[in-house]
Formats: sequence, structure tokens, C-alpha cells
Amino acid sequence: MGALRSRTLLLVGLAAASTARAGVDGGQEPETTIRAAAEAAVPDRAASVVDRAELERRLPRSAPDALRFEPGVFVQQTAHAQGSAFIRGLTGQQTVLLFDGIRLNNSTWRQGPNQYFFTLDSKSLESIEILRGGASTRFGSDALGGAILAHPLEPPSFARGTFASLQGRGASADGELGGRAQLAVGVGRWGLIAGVGGRHLELLESAGPVRNPADGLPAAVPRFAPDGRHQLGTGFDELTADGRLVFRASERHAFTLAAYLYRQYDAPRTDLCPPATARFDECLTYEEQFRTLVYGGWAASELGAAAQTARVTLSWQQQHERRKAVRPASFVTERGDDEVDTLGLTATATIRPLALIGGTQSRLRWGADSYLDLIRSRSAIGFSDLGVSVERSRGQYLEGSSALTGGAFLEGELEAGRWTVRGGGRLGWAAASAPADPASGTAGVSGWWLPLAGHLGVGWQPVRALRLVANLDHSYRAPNLDDLTSRQQTGAGFQFENPGLRPEQATTVEVGAQLKAAGLTAELWAFRTWLSDAIGRAPRDVSQCPPFTPACAASAVRYQLVNAGSAAALSGVEASARFKPVHSLAVQGTAAWTVGDGPNLAPPPADPSIRWEAAVPLSRIPPLNGTLELGWQHPSGGGLGAALRWAGPQRRLAVSDRSDSRIPLGGTPGFAVVDLRASWRVRSVLSVAVVVENLFDAAYRYHGSSVNGAGRGVMATLELSPAWENK
Amino acid sequence: MIRIALLGLLGLLGCGARPLPPVADGGTLWATDCRPPPNTPEDVAACVALATDYQPRVAGSANDSWAACVSDDNLYHPISPNISSLARVAAFEQLASLLWRGGKIPSAEDFLQARVLYAQAEGLDSRLQRREDVHYPAPLALDGGAAPRCSEPQVPEQFPDRCAGPAKLLPILNDAFAKGARGEAPRLHAARIEAALLWFLYLSALSEVMSCGAKPQDCDSSWAYYAGGGPRDAPLGLGRELQALAPQTHHRAYDATLAVRCWRNLDNEGGVASDTALQAQAREQLDRALVRGLAMIVRQRVSELACADEPGRQARLAFFHTLRPLLEREARARDPGSADLLGLEPVEPARVTAALDAIFPCP
Repeated sequence: MGALRSRTLLLVGLAAASTARAGVDGGQEPETTIRAAAEAAVPDRAASVVDRAELERRLPRSAPDALRFEPGVFVQQTAHAQGSAFIRGLTGQQTVLLFDGIRLNNSTWRQGPNQYFFTLDSKSLESIEILRGGASTRFGSDALGGAILAHPLEPPSFARGTFASLQGRGASADGELGGRAQLAVGVGRWGLIAGVGGRHLELLESAGPVRNPADGLPAAVPRFAPDGRHQLGTGFDELTADGRLVFRASERHAFTLAAYLYRQYDAPRTDLCPPATARFDECLTYEEQFRTLVYGGWAASELGAAAQTARVTLSWQQQHERRKAVRPASFVTERGDDEVDTLGLTATATIRPLALIGGTQSRLRWGADSYLDLIRSRSAIGFSDLGVSVERSRGQYLEGSSALTGGAFLEGELEAGRWTVRGGGRLGWAAASAPADPASGTAGVSGWWLPLAGHLGVGWQPVRALRLVANLDHSYRAPNLDDLTSRQQTGAGFQFENPGLRPEQATTVEVGAQLKAAGLTAELWAFRTWLSDAIGRAPRDVSQCPPFTPACAASAVRYQLVNAGSAAALSGVEASARFKPVHSLAVQGTAAWTVGDGPNLAPPPADPSIRWEAAVPLSRIPPLNGTLELGWQHPSGGGLGAALRWAGPQRRLAVSDRSDSRIPLGGTPGFAVVDLRASWRVRSVLSVAVVVENLFDAAYRYHGSSVNGAGRGVMATLELSPAWENK
Repeated sequence: MIRIALLGLLGLLGCGARPLPPVADGGTLWATDCRPPPNTPEDVAACVALATDYQPRVAGSANDSWAACVSDDNLYHPISPNISSLARVAAFEQLASLLWRGGKIPSAEDFLQARVLYAQAEGLDSRLQRREDVHYPAPLALDGGAAPRCSEPQVPEQFPDRCAGPAKLLPILNDAFAKGARGEAPRLHAARIEAALLWFLYLSALSEVMSCGAKPQDCDSSWAYYAGGGPRDAPLGLGRELQALAPQTHHRAYDATLAVRCWRNLDNEGGVASDTALQAQAREQLDRALVRGLAMIVRQRVSELACADEPGRQARLAFFHTLRPLLEREARARDPGSADLLGLEPVEPARVTAALDAIFPCP
């Protein structure tokens, strides 16, 4: 910890970090207007984009935090150093995350929220694109809830010069201190952008405990320092480094070699640091949460009829985590190490548009991708007073497991007058293999699946300002290694594997209206998703625990993942609007409502007097929520703004939610939080941004989170472009 | 089988009175002292049930003061099919086999394996760290805030009697596991572990009665901590120890677990209980039987001091010293004069056993 702090402080002292402003805009004055919330690269669907300017104005603490103002996205945090975006009520393994087109998901991503989107450095991103609803054809058959596409900063092109920037960042609520240094170079046909960053965060101060609606008492987690405001089980250290080298061999060919490193240290899991009923000094900490992504890519254009544009990437990614759960009073330390190496190959191409009869135009895109995961996993229990460690027979996963996922797709678009028809299909492949572990009573796994996914959509523009869209999407998620083999203490209880799981499939119907007129941009979407064979947590009796697994029987609640016997359904409405009465002023807002119900996975009790319902709410469905932002920008470079985030209470709880200490007894109370923003940019030499967060010091939390939101505090960034900048 | 045959042969040869070296069975050593152990048949003929006692073995509770309830068939009917406490009692049984049962002399590796069992997630250690002794008042809330809990910093140190698990038992177990794993005095440290865990099971059975008022399934845990989920004639854990030495006391304790279940059956079984008088009645019946049972276990160990070899003597003394504070609390409440005899050093077996018989005559 001390060494890491030194590392971080060294980085901060040397630099404090930077953004790639110079690299992105080539020294131009930055784009500072508030942009539309839905200008995604994939047309005719529910989507929105967070761009660099918004990131710099909102000052998110992380990549997931950057999504809080996006319509239909609800960010849950199990820990200060974790965050998982719910899209239309789904998250984790049911959404697909891509970085520069490369899949971040791997076969160990679990049911429910996970921490992995946090392992992208938001300061290395140019934008984040959120596609709501099934996105399986192009992005992976398991994109049931949607896809999040992170786009990295690109280096300057063709001898634009050398640009450097230093950015420092601080926040009062969690004592954040950090930054990033960045260099962007364009020389001849070569372009390079490289950065290094780091930060250190202390305990996160909130406005105090959130109270249980059921009894008015403080929620069981998090626990607090004696001041009643600083949350135990928060704070962490982070180092990042990235480099992206682009060689533009010609106007038609470019080669990219890139590496992105994320290193997170000593990040406690808040709901288990300490657990709700345990001693104050018990703690589960992610000592190391690393992600390393290295890839090479070739992009080309004008290759002929079969590929107007094409891109091929070959990647290696490693997800590494080292957990340590300590019980100091008993000198007990439990350790877990999991590592996933993923080899990936992707290829996509667009076919030159074809003009058909009657002015109809067609566009086609095809592609294929495949990812191979290789798993290492082990665990041990040790006693610090003896200096002895005893290796367990298995880790959270099974050592030597492997999984393959991928597919090939073809999608097309026909445009005729005011009508556009889109459709496509994907033939996927998925396989999972894991050795048995007799010592823990774990069965081996060997299975393969051929997912079929596809979509069909139609867009109609009755008048210039209005576009109406209807889409149908079918997604297919084969069970992964986490479903089939993992054993873990989840927030809801002990969860054990089910090697007999079948794939889950989703069919989504959505309709939308997009309005663009005289300073007003607005969208309204309604959707319904049917999940068949949905994989969910079924409560299990002690007698159903796997053999040789005493922690299962000893846990208060036990779950096993099972396929639901009948369909579950999610429905919702999302709205977003932006109004710009004058050039310098913009108002934008979002609202989303989701409801999800599925079959009760718990069997009816033998005693008929005990209440049991055949259909129950799905787990962690976000409450009605929304945002409102007001921004004013002066031509001189100054800007002011205010933001409101709000959510209604969520009392509709799944069976597993009721045993999840992250959710207060009776549900999560609603909240409304106001932030104030100010920014000032002096040409491209200096920029300052300040956010006063949670102005009224409200105690709040996003549903399903262990961590309460920050109390009233100040966040600030200062960015400098040194005088030796060469333009 | 070999071990049983060897010990049986030693018994036949009349070696029980004089300690012999341990015998080896494969890689395991077994103590040979006190074979057969001194046997004092339990005599509770003079004992009479209190008017408040629940008596399911007598005409299905028809003659006692309790209303008809689910326990009247003399069986325990769990409220929930899932009783996580059973796993902790199962772990206790595994520890017993590894460390002390049958006169085993555990190896350092046995202590390490036992500690792994003890420390497993949601296992004995997790509960022992927060176990409270309900005989002592809970810390009061200050300034209108929440009442301090034994899981909070400094609270065990300030309230060691209430926070018995972390304040009293945990240090014993940590020390004994560590020393045992280093190969130091294995019988002595196994005895300390056994005594501390019996104390924990006793506290747990009582504390679960208290929490059962709000959480009905905790009554199942109370039963589980006493009998390990076993039926009356084949209990596990603390019940097994009592049944072996004091069968009548065991039956009375089992009656009391049925009393707890009966109370909860009569008192809004599906919701929050309100009949605190009946709850206290059941808890007192259970407490009375359990503390008498523990006294009988201690009495047996003290009476074995005479036939023990030196390691065995040290182990039995350690067992006595570990559990003595538990018995002293109740002894002082009943008979302060006799209670003083428990604290005398050096330990005089005759006086201690006499004092225990006097203080805890009936279950």
C-alpha cells in the first residue's frame, strides 16, 4: 500500500495527467457545446454518446460513472472502485462491452453487476457509445440488454506536430489526487498517442447513511467511520498506461499497434469490508484488479466490391484479479487468484453501397469474430500467526478451463425514399470446457452451442423533423464458465454452479420516435424484452449444496443458477430531449422507467399459508430515474452549468434482492442530487473544470449499490499544455 | 478397529488405573490414560420439574402449564428446512474427530486441518467472533444513537462479559490452534479448543432463543446448536457430549429445545413474537439444563485427573480452567460459598466435584 502510494504520488508529482485534447483535435479549439444525447454511429436505434467534451465537463470518477447522464442507463456500484451499467434492466454478462471493437467480456463475467468497465481509463477515451436493447448481430450474440462501445483517443494524423498535456485532478469527497500525462505525436505517416496516469483515493465521504424503508434504521452496508460520513470499504489506488501507434501506409491502409494497461490496487468490496454482521476489521479487498490489452489492427478502404472498408484486429487481453479476505481477529486470510487470457480475432467489412431500382440503395456489412479464453484460478486459506497457507483444491473457477465464443454476421440496409429497412443475422459459436475437481465435488464441463441471433428494423420519416422506428432483435447467450463452474459468495448469498444450464435467449421489440426541429432534439422509446430460459438465481436448500462445500451449507442463503421454466419480461420507456434556445445555452434531460418480472425460481413452500407468488420482480431493476442538465457556454471559453440526477424509490425486489445487503430493507429510497459545474479554457494552454457535487448534501445511493453517493464536495481538474508544445 | 482392539486389551489387562504410553494406529497416536474412564452414573431421582417447565415426554405435555403446540409429539419440527447452523455443528464434530475424540493425540497437521475447518467462510469462527452472552446486558445506546455491537471497535474490550465470543473465547482458540499447529502440548491445546467450542455452542443455543423473537428460524438454530440436528436419541455436538455423560440432563435439554419451538409455535410463528414471558420461560429451562450438562462434563474431566498421565492431566486441567468462568457465573448466582471452591488452586478434584454436585444438582 505504501509502495503504491509512493508510485501514485510520484506520478502525480511528475505530472498529474492529461487528456488527449491536443491529439484529438489537432490543436483546434475544443468542442465545448453540449451535444445531442443520441448521435450514435448505429442509426435507427436507441443509442447515445458521451463524448470528450462531456467527460471534461462532468468529471466522472470512472468510465461507468461517465454513463450516469445517459438515457436508459443506470450505474450500480458494489464498491468505490467498481461500477456496472444497467441497460434496460440488464448488466454484466447480458450486455456486451467493447473497446475499440474488441470485446471486453470474457467467460468469467458473472450474473449481475461486475467491475470490469471500471478497468477502462476514462481519460484515454474519446467517447463512449451506448446502444440500448439487443445488439447481437454485430457485437456478439450475448448482447441481450445492449452494448457499450468505448472509443479510444486517436493520435494526430499525418505530421500534425507534437502535443503534450498534463492534467491534475482532485476531489474532496474521497481525497482523490491524481492525474495523467500525455504525449501525442504525428510524424510523417506515423502517429502516436501515449499516456500514463495514476490516482490515489481515500475513504469516500457521503452525506451519511441511507435508511431502510422497512424500519427506518440505517442500511446494513456500508459501515461508517466514527464521523458517520466516511464509508468504510472505500478508497483505492490506480495506475494506467496506454500507447497507440498508427502507421498510415497509404490513404487506403493503416496499421495500429496499441496497448492499454490498467492497474488497480487495494480496492475493498464495500459490502464485504466489513460484511454487514461481521467484525469491523473483516474485509474483502481486490489487492489487484488488472487489465492488459494489446492488439494490432489493419484498417483499409476501397478494397473492391466486397469491402469498401475493412478492419481486422488480433488481440491479447488479460484480466487478472487477486482477492484477499482478512479476518484479523482470527489471523485468517483467504486468497483467490483468477486470470483470464483472451486471444481474439475480429474482422469486419462494409460493402460498397449498391443503387437498386427505383432509387433504392442497399448497404451491407459483414464480419466475424472469435475469442478464446484460457483460465487460471486458485485459492488458499492462510493463518498469519503461523505463516502457513493451505491451498484449496479449486479456485472460484476451475484451473485449466477454457471457452470459445464468436460468430459471423451479415447485416444490410435498404433505403427507399422515406423508408429504411434494416436486418441482419449472426451465426455464432460458443464452447466451454472445464476439468472436474473431485475434491470439491465439482463436475467437469464440456459443451458447445451454435447461437443464432438477428435483427430486423424499419424506419420511416413521415416529415423531415420526425423519424419513427420499429426494431426486432433476437439475442442468444450460451452459459459461460461462471455460470457452469463458479462458486462464490455473492451479495445475495452463496452461489454454486450448474453444469446443466441451457442458453438463455432474448427477443426485444422496440418502437421509437426521433424528433429534430429548431433547437430541439427529442427521442422517445418503448421496449419489451422477453427472456426465455432466462438464467437466474434459484434459492437452494442445504441438502442441495454440492458435496465437500461446507461454506454452502453454512451460508444463510444459498443459490444456484437455473434456467427459468417460463418467460421473463422487461418493459420500459426511455425519453431524452435537448433544447437549445440560443447557441450558448442548452438544456437536456433524460428519463427512464423499467419494470421486469419473471417466474419465481423458488419452489412453492410446502405450507400453503406461506405467501408465494408465481411471478416476481427481476433482480436489481432500476427505479424510475432521470437527469436534467443546464449548460451555458461563453465564447471566451468559460462555461457554467447545473445538473440534477434523480431516482424514485425501488420497492419491487426479487427474491435474491431481499437477502442482498446492498439493498436496504424494504428497498432503496429515492433521491435527487444537484451538481454545479464551471469550466474555463484559455485557448489550448490551460483549462480548469470544477464540479460542486451533491450541493444539498443528500444521502443517497443508486439501487443495488453498496456505496452511497458522495456527499457535498468539490471535484476539479486542471489541464496544462506546456510551453514547449510544438504545433 | 486396531485402536479399539488395543485399547480393549489394555482395559482387560487392568491397565486403566495406571497410565501407559500412547498407542499408535498407523500414523495416529492415542492416549491410554483413564481407560476405562471413571464412571459416575447420573442420579437425578430427587429432581422435580418446575411448574413452568415444558414436559413433552410426560403425556405429550398434557400435564404441564403449556398450551398445546407443535412440539407435543416430542419431536422437533423445524420452522425452516434450511438451518445453516447445522453446518457449524458438523464442523465441530469434524474437529472433535481430528483433535480429541476417543483420546486422540492430534498432530500438528491435525491442528492445521482443524483450523481450516474452523475458519471456513460462514463457519464457526465467523459466528464465534460476534457471539454474545445473553446473561449480561447489552451495551446501551449513547446519545440516542444505535447500541454498540460486539462487532464494533473497542466494544469487546469494554464489554467482555457480553461480548464473550470475541473477548473471551477467540483468544483461547487462536492461541490453542496456533500452538497446536506448532506441535506444542497437543492434548492440552485440543482440550482448550474443545472447552471453548462447547462454551460457544452453549452461548449460541441461548442467544438464538433471543433472536428467534424477531427471526423465527433462529429457534431452529438454537436446536441445531444444541443437538446438531439429530433426533433425541442421536444428537450431535453439545447434545452428544451431554448424552454420553448425563443422559437425563440431555433429555431435559432436549425438552427445553422443544419448549423453545413450542413457544414460537404459540407466539405468532410466522411473524414477530410478543410473548416475552413464555420466551424467557423456555430459555431458562434450556439454560438450566445446559449449564448443568456443562457442569457434568467438567466434573468428568476433573474426576479423571486421578487416572491421567501427565499430558492428560494438563489437558484436563486446561479444560477445567477454560470452562470454569462460565460455571462460576451461574455458581455465584446460586451458591457463592460453593462457587469459591471452583476457584481454588491447586485444583482439588474431590472438592470441585462435590461443589459441582452441590451447585448443579438438577437439570
